Amino acid sequence: MSSFEIGIAGVVGLIALVFLGVRVVYAAAFVGMVGLIAMLGWDAGAGMAGTIPHSKVTTYTLSVLPMFILIGYLAFHAGLTERLFDAARKWLGWVPGGLAVATVIAATGFAAVSGASTATAAVFSRVAIPDMLKYGYDRKLAAGVVAAGGTLASLIPPSALLVIYAIIVEQSVGALLVAGFLPGIVSAIAYSIMIVILAALKPNLGRPIKGFTWRERWRSVPGTLPIIAVVIIIFSAMYYGWATPTEAGALGAFVVFVIALAHGMRWKGLREALLESAKLTVMIFSIIWGVLLFVRFLGFAGLPDAFAKWVVTLPLPPLAIMIGILLFYTVLGMFMDAIGMLLLTLPVVYPAVIALGYDPIWFGIVVVKMCEICLITPPIGLNCFVVNGVRPDIPLSDVFRGIMPFFVADVVTLALFLAFPDIILWLPRTMHMS
Amino acid sequence: MLREDGSTLGVFDVRLGRVETFFNLVAAACIFVLMFLGMAQVLGRQLFDRPISGYIDFVELSMATFAFLGIAYCQRLGGHVRMEMFLKMTSGRAHWAMEVFGTLIALFVIAVLIWYGFDHFLRAYRLGDSTIDAELPVWPSKLLVPVSFALLWLRLLLQLAAYLRLMINPSAAPVAVPRAMTAEEIAAQEIEGTN
Repeated sequence: MSSFEIGIAGVVGLIALVFLGVRVVYAAAFVGMVGLIAMLGWDAGAGMAGTIPHSKVTTYTLSVLPMFILIGYLAFHAGLTERLFDAARKWLGWVPGGLAVATVIAATGFAAVSGASTATAAVFSRVAIPDMLKYGYDRKLAAGVVAAGGTLASLIPPSALLVIYAIIVEQSVGALLVAGFLPGIVSAIAYSIMIVILAALKPNLGRPIKGFTWRERWRSVPGTLPIIAVVIIIFSAMYYGWATPTEAGALGAFVVFVIALAHGMRWKGLREALLESAKLTVMIFSIIWGVLLFVRFLGFAGLPDAFAKWVVTLPLPPLAIMIGILLFYTVLGMFMDAIGMLLLTLPVVYPAVIALGYDPIWFGIVVVKMCEICLITPPIGLNCFVVNGVRPDIPLSDVFRGIMPFFVADVVTLALFLAFPDIILWLPRTMHMS
Repeated sequence: MLREDGSTLGVFDVRLGRVETFFNLVAAACIFVLMFLGMAQVLGRQLFDRPISGYIDFVELSMATFAFLGIAYCQRLGGHVRMEMFLKMTSGRAHWAMEVFGTLIALFVIAVLIWYGFDHFLRAYRLGDSTIDAELPVWPSKLLVPVSFALLWLRLLLQLAAYLRLMINPSAAPVAVPRAMTAEEIAAQEIEGTN
């Protein structure tokens, strides 16, 4: 067998193992290891495999991941969601569907201290749905807006998915994080516009909430200051480069830690947050070294290059290929967790996308947005299950129906990203580093 | 050795579980320390122009703690990513056979990585390898890989025994295996994490 054929056999083997339910880290490491051994012999191949976990994982760039994850877990103990939602409803309640719009805006704010979409959907199910139902909002809308609002967490920093993308494709973590802000806000605006249109057409969906005085409005602002502080720390550190992502993450985590203490978090809560952070961290690191072992083997086989060359010769315009890739992710996302999906596909898909002339940062944001859409689409749109889990009184079918307008808004947003790449690229381009 | 009700497995499960939780706690503590360290570094540099010397070297070496120590803990809880579409379509003996297969793959990979990971450590130890900047010794960090993987290997071995028991007798109650969860249950777990 030529090394190229070994490479193809490896890809097929990996797909088979993953379909058989072998955990991605073992499947990827197994294929990578066996492939390296097949090409280099037992000692050189296995020897190389043995160095990869340690050498690939102990790189400074990756140390931002536990910090971002910790911010996310601590944020739940800091009581920030209630305050954010309270402020958002006082300021925005007057528009048609006001409480739903307030939910989107509060979720956008919370995304700035959370990188986990499902968890964000869970807390907002508890905070926002009762209020919306109390004011007679349509329960499909109430459930849908919470499930969709949760997905904003992965675009707006701190976002673990964006960091993982940056590491795998060897792009600047800072540039990707900065690039995530605007698309996150654009997504939130698209959701809000969708709500306002729907509620203006059918006032029964959700009535405006009026009667707050300016005094009440202003008094709701200080409660959101910690969030604003974290946003400023992370954004300005990345944008002006006065701290590394890890340092900014550490500062942000500390701010949230102090707020959580002030809000009554004790040893038990801290222990829980730390153990959960450690578990998620090791899960992500494991899959990273597993996949990088596989990538080393692919590189030896010359497969990504060959695939990229082949894609470029396809008699199709790049846009058609890009849409094809996005559809492929939509299908894959129905069966797989976002992290696994990204790590498994990027080593092969990314070089092809770059060969087609797309920007690495742009593609990162688009692909993470795809992962987010997968969180709200059937059959395993996890965010919808989460909403249904917190509110068993809202049947799953209602949640999935409630998601429809937001899915449409997401498709429009993606089309905007395709038509106007500058929505994504403008901010990082004005940065000090790119 | 293995009693019909799986109680021996249960005992091993609990004992191994204690070590795993301890390892994960150490990893968690290291994340917490990294937070303070990062803060001290950025404040020291920006406010007092006194960065911590060797900060990056130290962070890189200490990353082996939270990158590896918790791996067995995560395996026990079934936390490592996988695609469960086909697993969920099967039941009974076929289902447990798939689990046995996946565990065997993992046992092989991790065994090789323990062996050659230990080699990697031994080389660094014998040569007295140190980081370029702060000249910190590299071997303790490299040693964490075979140590963490050895614990993981024991966990996998226990799970292999547990899955084999279920494959032989599919009607037995599952012991010492992570529960296969439905989307509803995964959602429930996510929700609990935010309470």
